[in-house]
Amino acid sequence: MTAGFQFDLCNRNRLLESKGVQGASVTKTGTTIAGLVFKDGVVLGADTRSTSGSTVADKNCEKIHFIAPNIYCCGAGTAADTENVTGMISSSLDLHRYATGRESRVVTAMTMLKSHLFRYQGYVSAALVLGGVDFRGPHLFTVYPHGSTDALPFCTMGSGSLNAMAVFEAGYKDDLTREEAVELVANAIKAGIYNDLGSGSNVDICVITKGKVDYLRNHEYLQNKTYQRRHPVTYGKGTTKVTKEKIIPLSELTIQDGDATAMDTS
Amino acid sequence: MFKAALHSGSGKPRRRATVSSPHKPAGRKLLEWRGRIDQHFGYGSSEASRSLYLEDGGQYAALLQAELEQPVSLGTTIIAASYAGGVVLGADSRTTTGNYIANRVTDKITPLAENVYICRSGSAADTQAISAYVQWFLQQHAVDLDRHVSVKTAAKLAQTMVYQNKNMLQAGLIIAGWDKQGGGSVHTVPLGGTLLQVPYSIGGSGSAYITGLCDKLWRPHMTQQECHEFVVKAVTHAMARDGSSGGCIRTVTISKDGVKRDFLPHTRVPIAYGEMQQPMSVGA
Amino acid sequence: MSIFEYNGAAVVAMAGKNCVAIGSDLRLGVQFQTLACDYKKVYPIHDHLYLGLAGLGTDTQTLFQKFKFHHNIYRLKEERDIKPSTFAQFVSSTLYSKRFGPWFVSPVIAGLEPGTWTPYLCGMDSLGAIETAPDFMVAGTAPDSLYGMCESMHKPDLEPEELFEVLSQCLLAGTDRDAISGWGAIVHVITKDQVITRTLKGRMD
Repeated sequence: MTAGFQFDLCNRNRLLESKGVQGASVTKTGTTIAGLVFKDGVVLGADTRSTSGSTVADKNCEKIHFIAPNIYCCGAGTAADTENVTGMISSSLDLHRYATGRESRVVTAMTMLKSHLFRYQGYVSAALVLGGVDFRGPHLFTVYPHGSTDALPFCTMGSGSLNAMAVFEAGYKDDLTREEAVELVANAIKAGIYNDLGSGSNVDICVITKGKVDYLRNHEYLQNKTYQRRHPVTYGKGTTKVTKEKIIPLSELTIQDGDATAMDTS
Repeated sequence: MFKAALHSGSGKPRRRATVSSPHKPAGRKLLEWRGRIDQHFGYGSSEASRSLYLEDGGQYAALLQAELEQPVSLGTTIIAASYAGGVVLGADSRTTTGNYIANRVTDKITPLAENVYICRSGSAADTQAISAYVQWFLQQHAVDLDRHVSVKTAAKLAQTMVYQNKNMLQAGLIIAGWDKQGGGSVHTVPLGGTLLQVPYSIGGSGSAYITGLCDKLWRPHMTQQECHEFVVKAVTHAMARDGSSGGCIRTVTISKDGVKRDFLPHTRVPIAYGEMQQPMSVGA
Repeated sequence: MSIFEYNGAAVVAMAGKNCVAIGSDLRLGVQFQTLACDYKKVYPIHDHLYLGLAGLGTDTQTLFQKFKFHHNIYRLKEERDIKPSTFAQFVSSTLYSKRFGPWFVSPVIAGLEPGTWTPYLCGMDSLGAIETAPDFMVAGTAPDSLYGMCESMHKPDLEPEELFEVLSQCLLAGTDRDAISGWGAIVHVITKDQVITRTLKGRMD
């Protein structure tokens, strides 16, 4: 496989488009992600809704991505882009750590992200909130799809960013305690979940302090069904009319992962 | 009932939101950009595909979305002025995406070298990238020279980048600093990539409101303090009239004695004509 | 018209207790003209891994051939079948490499992870954004009605035969209000020891 993007289907797809056929259309949807610097670290937060058009595609997706053991990143924008961009930078940093033997710096991650996004001139649509703690202390950045960055003590992104920012502007103080910070971020995300239609479901939180990360997946679980089925329907055997049946028995001989063997380095 | 025709197609790229720009129809800029990627990074299938698949843009439901879609830009007021022994650079601190203030404490005065700073206006992404490249070139150059780089060199480097990529970039720059050969000097690089050395320069959307004011107030051979007051006054008046400029005022003073940064929080920005006195309870 | 609705498709996958099921409708059409009613959109990768491809017919066929080829190479190199989660990453990166000129497909992957025989279920958009699901996954031209059926009918820990009935009913009822999918269906129920493949009788209108 070749590295980088392939553009060979572009002409075909453009031809289809010129014949009046729609490509993959994007209706705007959203996300609420936020980050906050507190006394001894960084808190990142995200909602967990992923949408395709007006349909909720995933009610509980993960938007806080691993970058390095001391760095995490919230992603908004096209899901494929946020997923891949963070993944690529994460693995580059991994190699970088092997080469240098040092903990990754947050600015390094930020610079790698912005240069990738700048190279693609905004067409890779990933809007990120990057946070982490390195030997210089806590850092928080926003990275925009076009490749610009801001360093701020508190920031929000996504369609719910205005709702979340309103909560931050009202409640932010310097040197919050960990508990206060987590609560403020959770409230900011909830402002997005309840008031922005593109955001929804649960609150994910990630607290990064010196030498320690607490990834609080579904810190607040809000997607419980509001009803219970009193008389759940069950389809008895034979409900469905079958016209043909084929059963393939599978041999007992199955795949084994096998024990790990040390690499021959002689 | 032709329901199928109304189906909202599945297989739409899943989105998590917004703040981005994106998908305009394939235009000239895009094709150029593709060519550039091929050239620089050896990606893609070269000449065969000079066009790109693009999402159709669709009917965007919310107006707000379109807002946040705007590229991040520094609708700005920037200024740099020379005085007897150096230069003073000034800028507001507002960064916007459409009508939303993405950053209200932005630092638009970026160091290029120890003795040279740049005021950025235009696209935040473009000007950050230009600054990063110029910083990198100047660091190498400083090692070769074994002394401070000259302001002129820094300005010429920035100008070259803007001029050679003028189709791709949206950047209006003011480069100013102090060196032994030229003392304090101000260089301006407007949109097309011209390079001019001037006694003082203003830039960004806010500058339109203060041309007369600055022509009136600027004098040669000001003292450092007078020059600083001039810069702050100019930015204040631009911020009062220009919706895209605002926040606080940052200044950088560069002379033979080094670099001094100053920060005027929004609560202490002087009142301009037509502005109400701020109630005491608001702000700090 | 969206290119995803050119041929018409419905794919559903569901997880049960140590089993997964995946099924598709059987119609192939060119917009409103039906060409075939034995066109399966679920492809076997190996005994315990099936791939559902909804979207533009020409792309689904080409992609399946690619994946099959790469899995054959993988088997020769590794002397084992690919894990469903690994395969999902492979599909994802194949799709993302065409980020700016994508294949018009929405894949659904259903399989059992080797060793533990726990269900693996995921779906993707045409750019390769993986979405894993503990319960069910749908794709095709009637995702909304399929989602509605599954959301209402699926329960955790169904036995293979129960799972078959639930998935089949969701698939058949879900495609009833879609003019360009349906015309019969095929369902595979995958367990550790066997794969049951059944062709369903559906409405032919």
